[in-house]
Amino acid sequence: MSQDLKDILGRLKYTDDAKVVQQITEQMKAVKNRMAGIRHKFVVMSGKGGVGKSMTTVNLALAFARQGDQVGVLDVDLNGPCVPKMLGMRGRRFAMTADGAMPPVGPLGVKVGSMDFFLEELAPVQWKGPMDLSPVWLGLTEMNVIREFIADIVWGKLDYLLTDLPPGAAADKPPVIAGFIPDLDGAIVVTTPSEIASDVVQKSIAYARDLGIKVLGIVENMSQYLCPHCGVESELFDGDTEALCQALDLPLLGRIPFDRTLARSFDKGMPLLDGDYATLKRYDEIVTRIKALVDYKKIMARQL
Amino acid sequence: MKFVCMKCETYMNFEKVEKPGEGSLGVFFGCPSCGARFTMVTNPGETQMVSSLGVQLGGRTAAAEPFEMTRSGLRGEGPGQAEMANYLKEHYGDKPVSTTATESSEKKSGCPFSAVVAQMGLGSSSEAGATLSEFVWSPDALDRLEKTPSFVRPMVKGTIEAYARKQGYTKITLQVMDDSKNTPAGIPWAAAAEKRLENIPDFIRPMARKEIERIALERGAPQITEAIMEEAKTKFMNFM
Repeated sequence: MSQDLKDILGRLKYTDDAKVVQQITEQMKAVKNRMAGIRHKFVVMSGKGGVGKSMTTVNLALAFARQGDQVGVLDVDLNGPCVPKMLGMRGRRFAMTADGAMPPVGPLGVKVGSMDFFLEELAPVQWKGPMDLSPVWLGLTEMNVIREFIADIVWGKLDYLLTDLPPGAAADKPPVIAGFIPDLDGAIVVTTPSEIASDVVQKSIAYARDLGIKVLGIVENMSQYLCPHCGVESELFDGDTEALCQALDLPLLGRIPFDRTLARSFDKGMPLLDGDYATLKRYDEIVTRIKALVDYKKIMARQL
Repeated sequence: MKFVCMKCETYMNFEKVEKPGEGSLGVFFGCPSCGARFTMVTNPGETQMVSSLGVQLGGRTAAAEPFEMTRSGLRGEGPGQAEMANYLKEHYGDKPVSTTATESSEKKSGCPFSAVVAQMGLGSSSEAGATLSEFVWSPDALDRLEKTPSFVRPMVKGTIEAYARKQGYTKITLQVMDDSKNTPAGIPWAAAAEKRLENIPDFIRPMARKEIERIALERGAPQITEAIMEEAKTKFMNFM
């Protein structure tokens, strides 16, 4: 019988009469069309949780905005979205239109897309139905929800879109999510100088590279502790991010100290925005370096 | 998914979808030759699996709403799912399907995958062997490797060995280590070319250097000259 079936299938022409393939193709086209107005797309990732990925994402976005760029932040940490809270946007909602979902606009004109805009305060993400605790179904659903976040938000014209990925390393979702974004410029990886964080970050970089995602460079967060009283910087960890960058052949985009004043301002949803503030200047420098990296070919053509 | 009419040896055509009950789909197929028809009926779990693809069987009759799947799937949004919950209780008691399966396998072994891992010979007994290198490292190469910080050493070692494997080497020497970095060390730079490289901002200069050296290597050039620089510039102008 199996041989018969093989022969039969060999003679038949497949038709997509349930139109499933057609719809998936249309979904992919929708993503591409939606992203067409965005000049540069980055993901901010780290294998390790708690290294300050979201803090880095929002501050880079604000730094781009301070330099006059149109910026969007896509928070795809579905189960732990925190970008709206950091930017003082809790309780805001997407405006649903025939063209798509209009994202709320935050400080310095930064547009934000986040699962938080669907949730009540302190409410976790919970799904309906008999499969809600099935890991297989959850994985599939979350991927398609993220696809909707990428395809359905009306970003309009943007210079930069930064996507804040959930934590995770090798056999996890983040690099796969990054693969959803067409014409991705690259990944910005966040770590702390902690050796434990560096270990996991290396794995996520190896996995991302394996999937063909270009890694632009590494941001070292919590490099030092900045004393709010005397302003003296002290080392928090003994690691060596420069050695990590050298080993991975990646540029160190910048080092950000743990700044209690800055951290508290984002914690309270009243972010510091003053470009003259010392720690924010460091984000501005990182953004300048990122621009040099994405415009590398143009710079080479013009200045070599 | 397709169905084949074995009598007529042809694909059956998708005809329509009906909802015989909450959380259930009846998908109808018919044979274009003999007219035989049958219906596949899904349970709520299978229905939810299909809906999580964000597609509608048979195609859409109206354009998708923004965040259609997200909004309809989140608890507390959209119509209630009481009937699905009832189905679940009826068939599986109070425990969800997934946890029932996991718990039973965990009780047996502590890990649902341990039997598979053991079958594949990937268990703890083989772990020590996994750390042994298939390559012979020369003493000076090993010395250099040991000078790298301990937390990046596995990554560095892995990268070098992957390169060596690809090249068919069995021994890791200092030369292999250098070559694995893809930096063609030893290509000299003419003074004028070196000066010209300074036009590139500090931060991206190492990348530029590497790119130009790569071009020189491809051409078999013994030195980085202004001609090579000009070639690199032309290459980048073509990207603009």
